Amino acid sequence: MSGTVCSSGAVTQAQRAVEQLRLEAATERIKISKAATELMLYCQENCRQDPLLSGVPASANPFKDKKTCILL
Amino acid sequence: MANEGLRDNETLSSLKNESETLKCKLEEERAKLHDVEPFLSVFFFQQDGKVIVWDAFTTNKEHAVTMPCTWVMACAYAPSGCAIACGGLDNKCSVYPLTFDKNENMAAKKKSVAMHTNYLSACSFTNSDMQILTSSGDGTCALWDVESGQLLQSFHGHAADVLCLDLAPSETGNTFVSGGCDKKAMVWDLRSGQCIQSFETHDSDINSVRYYPSGDAFASASDDATCRLYDLRADREVAIYSKESIIFGASSVDFSLSGRLLFTGYNDYTINVWDVLKGTRVSILFGHENRVSTLRVSPDGTAFCSGSWDHTLRVAVGHQRTRPPAKFIFHSGPERPPQFIKSSATAIIHADSPC
Repeated sequence: MSGTVCSSGAVTQAQRAVEQLRLEAATERIKISKAATELMLYCQENCRQDPLLSGVPASANPFKDKKTCILL
Repeated sequence: MANEGLRDNETLSSLKNESETLKCKLEEERAKLHDVEPFLSVFFFQQDGKVIVWDAFTTNKEHAVTMPCTWVMACAYAPSGCAIACGGLDNKCSVYPLTFDKNENMAAKKKSVAMHTNYLSACSFTNSDMQILTSSGDGTCALWDVESGQLLQSFHGHAADVLCLDLAPSETGNTFVSGGCDKKAMVWDLRSGQCIQSFETHDSDINSVRYYPSGDAFASASDDATCRLYDLRADREVAIYSKESIIFGASSVDFSLSGRLLFTGYNDYTINVWDVLKGTRVSILFGHENRVSTLRVSPDGTAFCSGSWDHTLRVAVGHQRTRPPAKFIFHSGPERPPQFIKSSATAIIHADSPC
């Protein structure tokens, strides 16, 4: 009967959803204070190597304007 | 009978109730660990780096490779730089070995790897040229073996089209994050196919996801005009990058090398640069004449490239609010994902989609 088929499909879907949620509810979490601090530490450790943050010296910039050559 | 598949004491309504209870419990558990407003009370002042705009012309030769396939929506470079993968409305992902020999016909060497039942929205090689991860409008992601075309793993869980994916930085293991039209961002285990974590705080489609360089967090860009940062170990959203004046959807997002800056492309033709830690906008870049559809920072972090519906790809080195943005190089055609190999200006690939 079509009614049976529909509810079996809905049941399987609901079972899967519940299993997935059980899994997610059981995951280990850490406090935001700790997580945020670690993100910040990573930033600080690497900010010196970040060219978009600290800029690139003119000599190393591949996109800089080429000066025209003036013939005297 | 209607009770087939049910275990003892289970009915459809009891499963639904349990589902609701678990969802509430999940939120409660997450809230318990929300001991501080992320970054606000823990932040301490640090010296701001200077950002500089260079008026620039490229001096390097760009290698633009046009994909010989129609309606391309996704493309990716193989880690070796020897092959390219692309796909789109053909529901497939195909791999082309790259050749600079003009006599060779790249299309002839095409290998179809992935087959979905709807459009291919994104693709990415894993750490080698041998495996490709794809996401599709059919709501699934899949891992394929390039050589045999075999499906190695499929990832089911999204309730609507999957629009984007990003692999975790290789040091942090075998996971990837995907974002979809169901407003969810999901983190998956590559080997088991299991969804490990999911986040549903956006109000609309998630167009782009990108891992934080350390792999402990990821950012997402959405049609709800916000970008958000999710910390994987705290298992929740920790920052939201938005302004009342920004009302158009965000299409693309990428981090600078240190993770301090977040570059985001929008449908209002602009690129906004955010301070990841402070949550404030650092800079806004103009120049594109239509929606910015995609954006990537180069692997060495010296430049970033944005692609737009105005048929151009533009590369910028640095950013600054007051001075005019860097001059750009133009390519013809494309709007879809650019990628850099190795260093900032050596190669950009783009996908040609016929209008």
